[in-house]
Amino acid sequence: MNHAVISCLHANLAAVEAVLNDIDSQGIKTITCLGDLVGYGPQPNEVVELMRQREIPTCQGCWDEDIIDGLNACECSYPSQLAERRGHRAHHWTAAQLTEENKAFLAELPMTLRRDKLLFVHGSPNSQHEYLLPDMNAYSALERVETAGAETLFCGHTHQPYVRELRQGSIRVKVQQRDQDIPTEHELELPMRRIVNAGSVGEPRHGSSKATYVIHDDSTGEVTIREVDYDVVKTCEAIVDAGLPVVFAWRLSHGFEYAERAEDASHVCER
Amino acid sequence: MGQVCLISGPPGCGKTTWALQKLQEHSGPCAYLRLEGEKEAGLEQGEDSGIDLAWLKDQVPRLEEPTADNTEDLKQANNSLTLIEVQRFHPPSQEGLKGFGEDVRSKLKALQLQPDQLLHFGRDHELPAKDTLEFSKLEAWHTSLLGCVWDPNSLSSFWFELVNGAYGDVYRAKGLMNLPDGRAFFCNWMVSQQSSQFLPLDITAPPQGRPDRTSELVVQGKALNPKGIQATINDCLLTDDVLAMQQQQPTSQG
Repeated sequence: MNHAVISCLHANLAAVEAVLNDIDSQGIKTITCLGDLVGYGPQPNEVVELMRQREIPTCQGCWDEDIIDGLNACECSYPSQLAERRGHRAHHWTAAQLTEENKAFLAELPMTLRRDKLLFVHGSPNSQHEYLLPDMNAYSALERVETAGAETLFCGHTHQPYVRELRQGSIRVKVQQRDQDIPTEHELELPMRRIVNAGSVGEPRHGSSKATYVIHDDSTGEVTIREVDYDVVKTCEAIVDAGLPVVFAWRLSHGFEYAERAEDASHVCER
Repeated sequence: MGQVCLISGPPGCGKTTWALQKLQEHSGPCAYLRLEGEKEAGLEQGEDSGIDLAWLKDQVPRLEEPTADNTEDLKQANNSLTLIEVQRFHPPSQEGLKGFGEDVRSKLKALQLQPDQLLHFGRDHELPAKDTLEFSKLEAWHTSLLGCVWDPNSLSSFWFELVNGAYGDVYRAKGLMNLPDGRAFFCNWMVSQQSSQFLPLDITAPPQGRPDRTSELVVQGKALNPKGIQATINDCLLTDDVLAMQQQQPTSQG
């Protein structure tokens, strides 16, 4: 059975509607959302309400967490002073716009969702703020999936969709026992694990302005990365009209391949 | 007798790069002078504010600025080289200095500088011509960044946005930018080139407080958004507190 996974909607209503239409047109009934419903974009209430109305299972993203817990949740995940200041402006604007009901909805979102051996998270099983980049050290990537007890880990946060297969993983342990001179070695072969990044619906940064999401076939394991056209100009105009930083509109209209992520992508805030 | 050469050309054609190469190759005394070209309808001259001279002096420390006091000595020295750079959008229509405006001629006269050679980028084959563009309309904007220190990652983001069109169609951008660790970079971009240059200055300032060396940004293009550029720059520059904290870190670790 096909199911769809969407992530990083970022208050971009036109993009969310276009993606949901694309999913509906294929007769897919099961949709999972990996969070970041708000932030950067101009329609936070509309997007949250659409998710609530469609009753789409959603886990909490870093923006959803910050808007509830305040900026102390993780200021240190900004890569630069410029990104931090812009992020704060977007944060304050979004916090002022969101209704109490929608804030309560975001506050209650779970950090992870699980369906059999499929695990759904925003950043990583460790944190909504950790980036699982496609070139992350293979051992670390495998550790994130294996210790979470998943076969396939669905994540977002990087805004760049990818499928990564982690094959031929093994753990070798050397045990030195008191009554033996020579240590014994044990090797545990790990089955293939996968990380599937759903990209971003509302703020694509994969070199194109098209919204991205993924379709996963439960029975075959096949993953399809979908790119969907939407009315980018409409959202850009709404960003400018809302008084959000104009550069957000410019960035959205280009889909540049640079994410505003911390220098240490695997950084996990300990605050 | 020393050699005096005047080069002219449109923004970003490679005048300063060519001058640096010639000055580095030259073993004798050398001097450099940059003069504003005459205004042309719809084409604004980019205010240099000493960027090129500061960059060249960093790379060629023995470089002098021609003054009324030293031009005679330079002229008499057999192996001296004086380069004069003039931004000019189109080739001069007349031979010799007559092809230049009164402003250029009077400044050269005051310094008693008489070029032996006048070369224009895009016209004379002695000069590289690959980046010589024809401009019909050009706006210019500049800002002083004296004493300003950038957050390094913010500078990287700002420059990316600047040269990729976030603040209008930028054809040319160059600047001297200070970093908190005492380094400075010559940032240089031209629309005809694929990527920017970020060249470190040889001379570093002690990472204590705010540096007092030349720091400027010049932007040329169309439909520029100076307010937007300035607002982003303000978000990128370090406050006194943050600068002090960043400059303290290496000391306390060391």
